[in-house]
Amino acid sequence: MTHSSSVIDGNQVAVHLSDVWKMFPGVVANAGVELCVRRGTIHALLGENGAGKSTLMNVLAGVYRPDRGQLKLHGQVHSFRNPADALSAGVGMVHQEFRLIPSFSVAENVVLGSAPSLIRPRQLEAEVAAIAEKFGLRVDPTQPLWQLSMGERQKVEILKVLWRDASVLILDEPTTVLTPSEVDELAEILRRMAQDGRSIIFISHKLHEVSGICSEATVLRQGKTVATSLDMAATDAAELARLMVGSSPVAPDRPEVATPGDPLLELTELRASGDRGIDAFSNITFQVNSGEIVGIAGVAGNGQRELADVIAGLRPSTQGSVTLNGADVTTASPQQRFRAGLGYIPEDRLGVGLAPRLSITDNAILRIYRQQRRGPFIVAEKALAYCQDLITRFGVRSGDPHGPIAALSGGNLQRLLVGRELDGQPSVVVAAQPTRGLDVQGVKAIQDLLLDQRKAGAAVLMISEDLDELLTLTDRLLVMEGGVIRGEFDPRTVSRHEVGMAMLADTNAATR
Amino acid sequence: MTRRPRLDLRDQPLVGGQPLAFGIGLAIALFVGTLLLLGAGHDPLKVYSRMFEASLGDPDAWAVTLNRAVPLGLAGLAVAVAGSMGLWNIGAEGQIMAGAIGASWVARIGGEWPGLILITVMLIAALGGGGLLALGPAVAKAKLGVNEIITTLMLNEVAIRLVQWLIHGPWKDPDAYNFPLAPMLPEQAHLPTLFSRAHCGILIAAGVIVISSVAVKYTAWGYELRIAGSSEATARYSGISLPQKILTVLVLSGGIAGLAGGVELTGTADRLTETLSNGFGFAGIIVAALALMRPSGVAVVAVLFGAVQIGGQSIQTLGVSSSVSTILQAFVLFGAIGAGVLSRYRILFEGEAQPAPEAVDK
Amino acid sequence: MSEASLIGLFVATVSFGALLYLAALGELLAEKAGILNLGVEGMMAIGAVTAFIAGVELKNPWAALAIAMASGAALASVHGFFTVALGAEQVVSGLSLTILGLGLAAYLGKDYVGQPPGAELVPVQWSGLSDLPWVGPIIFKQAPIVYFALLMGIAVSLVLANTRLGLALRAAGESASSTDSAGHSVLGLRLGAVAAGGALAGASGAYLTLSITPQWAEGLTAGRGWIAVALVIFGAWRPGRVGWGALLFGGTLALKTRLQTFGVDFSPIILSMLPYILTLLILLVISVRSRKRPSPAPAGLGFAYRREER
Repeated sequence: MTHSSSVIDGNQVAVHLSDVWKMFPGVVANAGVELCVRRGTIHALLGENGAGKSTLMNVLAGVYRPDRGQLKLHGQVHSFRNPADALSAGVGMVHQEFRLIPSFSVAENVVLGSAPSLIRPRQLEAEVAAIAEKFGLRVDPTQPLWQLSMGERQKVEILKVLWRDASVLILDEPTTVLTPSEVDELAEILRRMAQDGRSIIFISHKLHEVSGICSEATVLRQGKTVATSLDMAATDAAELARLMVGSSPVAPDRPEVATPGDPLLELTELRASGDRGIDAFSNITFQVNSGEIVGIAGVAGNGQRELADVIAGLRPSTQGSVTLNGADVTTASPQQRFRAGLGYIPEDRLGVGLAPRLSITDNAILRIYRQQRRGPFIVAEKALAYCQDLITRFGVRSGDPHGPIAALSGGNLQRLLVGRELDGQPSVVVAAQPTRGLDVQGVKAIQDLLLDQRKAGAAVLMISEDLDELLTLTDRLLVMEGGVIRGEFDPRTVSRHEVGMAMLADTNAATR
Repeated sequence: MTRRPRLDLRDQPLVGGQPLAFGIGLAIALFVGTLLLLGAGHDPLKVYSRMFEASLGDPDAWAVTLNRAVPLGLAGLAVAVAGSMGLWNIGAEGQIMAGAIGASWVARIGGEWPGLILITVMLIAALGGGGLLALGPAVAKAKLGVNEIITTLMLNEVAIRLVQWLIHGPWKDPDAYNFPLAPMLPEQAHLPTLFSRAHCGILIAAGVIVISSVAVKYTAWGYELRIAGSSEATARYSGISLPQKILTVLVLSGGIAGLAGGVELTGTADRLTETLSNGFGFAGIIVAALALMRPSGVAVVAVLFGAVQIGGQSIQTLGVSSSVSTILQAFVLFGAIGAGVLSRYRILFEGEAQPAPEAVDK
Repeated sequence: MSEASLIGLFVATVSFGALLYLAALGELLAEKAGILNLGVEGMMAIGAVTAFIAGVELKNPWAALAIAMASGAALASVHGFFTVALGAEQVVSGLSLTILGLGLAAYLGKDYVGQPPGAELVPVQWSGLSDLPWVGPIIFKQAPIVYFALLMGIAVSLVLANTRLGLALRAAGESASSTDSAGHSVLGLRLGAVAAGGALAGASGAYLTLSITPQWAEGLTAGRGWIAVALVIFGAWRPGRVGWGALLFGGTLALKTRLQTFGVDFSPIILSMLPYILTLLILLVISVRSRKRPSPAPAGLGFAYRREER
């Protein structure tokens, strides 16, 4: 373990976790973790997906109870029974999935859990506005939450913690839902909080984002602390990456330059409405050629989800056309598009791509059950054989194929889903957030599958929030923001800054 | 520090969990019932043995119980079919009435037809009547997403009042001395008997249940149903037309409930009455829930439920008020509900996770 | 059609309206917290029978009312236990509760059928106000429970909108997980709401046997519990609108027995279908409107909540 500062002044320490262990059935998430956060600092908690960062912070925030270990807050030992305990001791956490109520106003959401016995709405709204003002959070307390964008909702989550006067604020991967300019806004807000004497723990697996914001860092790897209290200014990125991954980062294999063939997927002037009646995207025109991977970069909420749905046939377009292998499929059903050669990997795995309450076999035959019929009946042996075949070919680690699909881990779910879609050798593959939330092996496995498709001559459209992934894998990179394509770039030569500029939001809530 | 209990989903439901649940429910009910009976000055042993005799003691008892199981089973099937898709048909009570209305109407115009034809057409009309009543809620749900619980619930009351109006008005029997009664059914409009007092409705119900079970479990149609019930988005993704499915399933469900009305009319009753549905529609919901919304389980649950009801009725001759049997039924239900939950979840006390010694990569 | 009979119609409208309003308010509270309780008929019946029995035995109408409310709350808590603590299916539990309530009521009341009432809540006299023409009898000469109902309506409104408890309760119905995260006890909130709902339904039943039809017989509730369930939806889960709806539906109940005296040749049976048909229509309207904005129904209504450790 590496320590950078030799002496840590007890008074200055806001959070001290020592020898924290947290175990779940079959997995040790935290194994003797050490964490030390100084008062008034923004502290990065780094590690790959699955390193145990969220678990550790959930322990600090009172969501989980540690199996062993000590938690000290401002020098005092604490033992939290639940999040409310932690909040009253001054620890608040902003999770990745927001715990907000869409039909309530911003103010109601902020005060839930610590409202005064008698509520005077106007007064409350004024008080909430005052705190928002103090820290630079621009939200309207009277607005109903459902009207707010993800970035704005995150501000409400932060307000909630500030309303409780938390001295320690934990943010779990906050930048995944923000545009680069919103990230800057967040940084400013966090700085104001730090100046106010509060301490912030910033969980991330993205080095470049935290380096500008955080002054110190702790790195976790496989449930253990590999370094704590590192001075960010004094440690270079390569060293941090090495600590996170455990060895020198190998430059990822860049696929050879493609010689793309004919356009297999063509979108022309495509336009569609979102869930609230306004345009989700418009004027979308591009092609994906055989043997290439085209990436669409952009923060969630800019129309990518709707675009993927429209291409797959799950959402109607209001203008324009979609052409698949030369045939117009603009009004075709999802199943027709599948038969025409489209494979779709939706971002919502267990909710869209897979039926959560059914068995693995039932899910495996989702695309081909119609072909397997004998009369009105589905032949059980054929279904099972098909499922076994998929499981073997795509390396899905599962138990009984008749068991519930919900028993599979995230990585295996995705392998099954991707395998099922790619089994028919589709000529066009649309993959939305295909590696999100997977561990290192899972990410590699899925990326390899997509590269294989590319090699076999398929046209792959990859929508991802992970810019690094896109920069590495794609042959052409489009940026989508506010429902339009803001630019096309060559991923081998473009700089992150250029891409970031293209993603700049014109923060107009109406386009979201 | 107190440890709060919480419920944790079991990896596998307890084997035999559902029948066990029913059994536990029964045991709890017997226990509570014993107290109630003692409190009212009755001999519990005598009462329970009479209940058993009257419902399952001999072929005659079985006949009555099976007859009762018919509408319970068909109503339960109706709810279970809709439930396989995640839809709640709370309108079985009204659909039974609607079915009975349809069958009665045929009986009115076909009084001269030969028995087999008359009954067949009556039952078809019953199917149609129930399906028709469910059509409104089905369309509302399919096209507008209107919650079917309330729409079907409201139509119960409408259908029951429709029967009342018919009996008091246009269909009033002129020969009934001005009592509001519908006329008796034609002689030949009665289902033939199977044995003792059991009528052929048992075969009809059994047949429909078997067909439905097979359909839901083994056909592509049933597969699509279960996908749609599991996740709407997945259904659309795989090309299943949700509105179409919702429409067909709800109307089918209503039709099956309507059939129950028709069978009850031609089997047990001899004329259309206001009390024909007799709570079968609501009981059917509970039957379906106890059978975990699986058509294959409905038959057994319906027979058991029927036994409980018939047994409960029989003890009135011992001077036990009918309300006791109603209360007993309710306790059976709650006992079964509770046991059902516990067969799928186990009670854990917070902080009880078992540690594993080696680190395992997720 | 005489003036007296028209006034009588309105008096009955307010009276029945209050009856329905009490039960509907109770259901509104439970549903706002996320629990669907289809056992209203059973709770009303229990309230009716215990009020009657208490009236006969204790001769005090207020004590009878209190006992009825306590009984309603106790019965509702059975449903609360199964649906909130165990997370059982709410539809099934509610229907079982109706069966239990009706059976229990019949059992308890069997010796009291046909007996004369021991206590009644007779219409009050507000000096001077009760003698005003029209307004007097209709508004100022009702049984105390009517004013109680109005008071409850205001109280529920205020609590939901302006108190910490009300905020927490509404949150529990919208998103139980967010409410749990915020530090409130979803269990406590929901159990409390269900019990309070039962108390109000019990009061509604008590109104029947203490004022409207002061006697006990099986089946006294006659399906009004279902109207209460419909009312909550009709009023889009808002206490004020539910109140107006209660008056409307109360009017149909009042009109049912008076159609003949008004010389209207319309079947009272068909008229009694009106509340249900109106609710259906309103439901359609709400659904069409809620394409653009969230539905007025509490988002978490009908779903059990279990806190997961992972």
